[in-house]
Amino acid sequence: MIRNYLKIALKVLLRRKFFTFISLFGVSLTLVVLLVATALLDNVFAAQAPEVLGNRTLGVYLMGMTGPESTRTGFAGYQFLDRFVRPMAKLPAVEAVTCFSLPETGVSYLDGKKIESSVKHTDGEFWRVMRFDFLEGGPFTAEDDRNARFVAVINEATRDKFFAGQPALGRTLEVDGQRFKVVGVVPDVPILRIAPYADVWVPIGTSKSDLYKKELVGNFMGLIVARSRADFPQIKAEVQSRLEQAKPLIYDPKQFERLMGGADTPFEAAARLLLSSRLEEGSPQKLWAVLIGLAVAFMLLPTVNLVNINLSRIMDRSSEIGVRKAFGASSWTLIGQFVIENVVLTLVGGALGLLLGLLALQAINASEVIPYARLAINLRVFLYALLIALFFGLFSGVYPAWRMSRLHPVKALRGRSV
Amino acid sequence: MIRHLFKLVWNRKRTNALIILEIFFSFLVLFVVGTLGLYLWDNVQRPLGFSYERVLVATIDMEQSDDNTFDPAQVATFERLLRETQSLAPVEAAAGAIIVPYSLGGYNGSWKVNGRRVETEFNEVTIGFKETMGLHLLQGRWFQKGDEALPWRPVVLNAALAREVFGETDPIGKRFGDPSKEGTEPERRVVGVVSEFRCNGELSGPGNYTFMFKRVGLGEAAAAGGPGPGSSLSRPPRNLVVKVRPGTPVEFEEQLAKRLQAVAPAWSFVVKPLAQMRESSFRLRLTPLVAGAIVALFLMVMVGLGLIGVLWQNLLQRTREMGLRRAAGASRSSVHAQVLLEQMILTSFGVLLGVVLVAQIPLLDLISFIRPKVFTGGIVLSMLSIYLLAALCALYPSAMASRVQPAEALRYE
Repeated sequence: MIRNYLKIALKVLLRRKFFTFISLFGVSLTLVVLLVATALLDNVFAAQAPEVLGNRTLGVYLMGMTGPESTRTGFAGYQFLDRFVRPMAKLPAVEAVTCFSLPETGVSYLDGKKIESSVKHTDGEFWRVMRFDFLEGGPFTAEDDRNARFVAVINEATRDKFFAGQPALGRTLEVDGQRFKVVGVVPDVPILRIAPYADVWVPIGTSKSDLYKKELVGNFMGLIVARSRADFPQIKAEVQSRLEQAKPLIYDPKQFERLMGGADTPFEAAARLLLSSRLEEGSPQKLWAVLIGLAVAFMLLPTVNLVNINLSRIMDRSSEIGVRKAFGASSWTLIGQFVIENVVLTLVGGALGLLLGLLALQAINASEVIPYARLAINLRVFLYALLIALFFGLFSGVYPAWRMSRLHPVKALRGRSV
Repeated sequence: MIRHLFKLVWNRKRTNALIILEIFFSFLVLFVVGTLGLYLWDNVQRPLGFSYERVLVATIDMEQSDDNTFDPAQVATFERLLRETQSLAPVEAAAGAIIVPYSLGGYNGSWKVNGRRVETEFNEVTIGFKETMGLHLLQGRWFQKGDEALPWRPVVLNAALAREVFGETDPIGKRFGDPSKEGTEPERRVVGVVSEFRCNGELSGPGNYTFMFKRVGLGEAAAAGGPGPGSSLSRPPRNLVVKVRPGTPVEFEEQLAKRLQAVAPAWSFVVKPLAQMRESSFRLRLTPLVAGAIVALFLMVMVGLGLIGVLWQNLLQRTREMGLRRAAGASRSSVHAQVLLEQMILTSFGVLLGVVLVAQIPLLDLISFIRPKVFTGGIVLSMLSIYLLAALCALYPSAMASRVQPAEALRYE
């Protein structure tokens, strides 16, 4: 039966080529846009190399202080991470803890030419949590950090800029007036991978001043690697209680009386940031609902368009429907047939959209709008796309199918309009 | 004629309802794109209030993210930086500022002045800022030497803010603050009015702007009496703006960076021409808009093709009707006109729905930054384009319909 439907569907598609073209154009265009959005989100939120432990990692990303009148939000401060989060490495549920700064612009001048790089200050543990494939050399260690040794790991693009692509191991580069010895070279990391991204990684100990050591809210992040995802609730609760303990350290208790923040997955951090102005714990379900709502809103116009075209197609086939109804096909059978036809159409459109989407992603990667972007369609993105195409097919197929099934056989046979 | 057409439209209401819905959604898409486009275009036409040419910006990384401490040692270092910069030969003028044009973010304040609450962006700058940025003073004076010692704090407003707060009266010398908070808040007084300062650049809308005086340049006296943490005057000026003389070579950028680095080894500096910051800020703000516009364009192509298909199919079904009209003596052009007018009626319904929905924005005061002129412009623009799109889509099918031979059409009857 299904095979028959598919056959009919194909025949119908080939019969009215203009209509098929319009439908496929709309479907594939819609899917390209949603596919690019999905690939972007996947690149930001899903764990991938070098964050191989990403699936069981929680981050203390965002922190803030609030009081009755003012709120200050930002990232985690080093003092909080160092005194309250780092000791959590001793807990049985925790495998490793690392702290690192946000990337900051560092400037170098090479033969009169200015080179800007993103510099990230990290501890030694960072290199155990992030598993980079070193092209040359290796990471710096916790001891390098403690002794403030001026060593750096650089990415491929930086090696190209400073050393014309020649081996860089053991050579020095000057950034913001500080000279670092290169101990390792790693492949480029896209800027969308917020935790590992940088051009140059140097030990925290080499910071120019130690003002950052006093900050509760600052520009650092901490990652906590759990033994398993089952330990997440316990770790979250622990971080909350440590936020309470850190409260007496607030320098201006009249202005600020609470420390905000917590241990989040990247998606939970996004929910915290986007759904609350005071960095209250956000609900990931709500963020999902918002994202799905946006996608559906975007699909509205293409859907109405497709419904219109489908209805026009039905008129074309009214005699076929009349015959089938006259021979006793039930409304449900007809609805089923038409929905399947429509799903076939959207899947063909989806396949086209996937091809066009690949081209679009490559164009985005090549344009360098997003530094080092490596947007790609992996299995996960592909499955999302399939889901979107199926949803789109059902969404736009049900109403025309219902209309079709209600055609009166006598009228339909005469070829009258509905 | 028109009444008759309405009847025809009504007779096919179910099919037409969906076309109206499609036109309604298209109208919304066009409205958003059109209004945003007009808003930006309107902004670009307005005066900027400063000049970005020959200006270098040195962003200072003080290795602290906290904005509430600017301790005496830091003040002293900052003063040394400023003096050092001003002493360089290619430098025409230099100043410190907490915010520079084209940088992301900014400070917004809300004060109660003259009994009403005003929202304003604000900045804290040193004396050289006016000369460096080429501000146009309309009334009063700019900050000057000796202002550190005043018992009150001088502020300079932009013309829009001065008008909002003081109306037609002369703002110079007036208090700028809430009298009821006397004693708890430092007293501010207006000393001057500048024409405009659109800190976020050409693409941003006009708004209120307040310059406050950054107390550096008096050395220890200011530092010793400096306010404590949390006070609004303890924000560190994270930027130096520098106006260079015409013909200064590009290498000066590097010289300046190295000089600053030598004076303050504990801080880091990024020196950039303001023109370059302007370009990257344009790129950052326009890229998503361009991407959105491209998607909207494709959507409209999709809608256009879809409408052609649907109209064509509908007219095929009405072959007999058209044939009858032709047989009864209607000319080709009157059949043409009928199809086009029917399409226009459908479009008008869709547009009407759209306008009713969109009109809620000013009625409910949802988006305040869109000016009435831009708003009506956006509606007119999107109406014009949707009518044009609908007419274009109707042309081909209606030409087909008018070419129907009466004999052929009536054969089936």
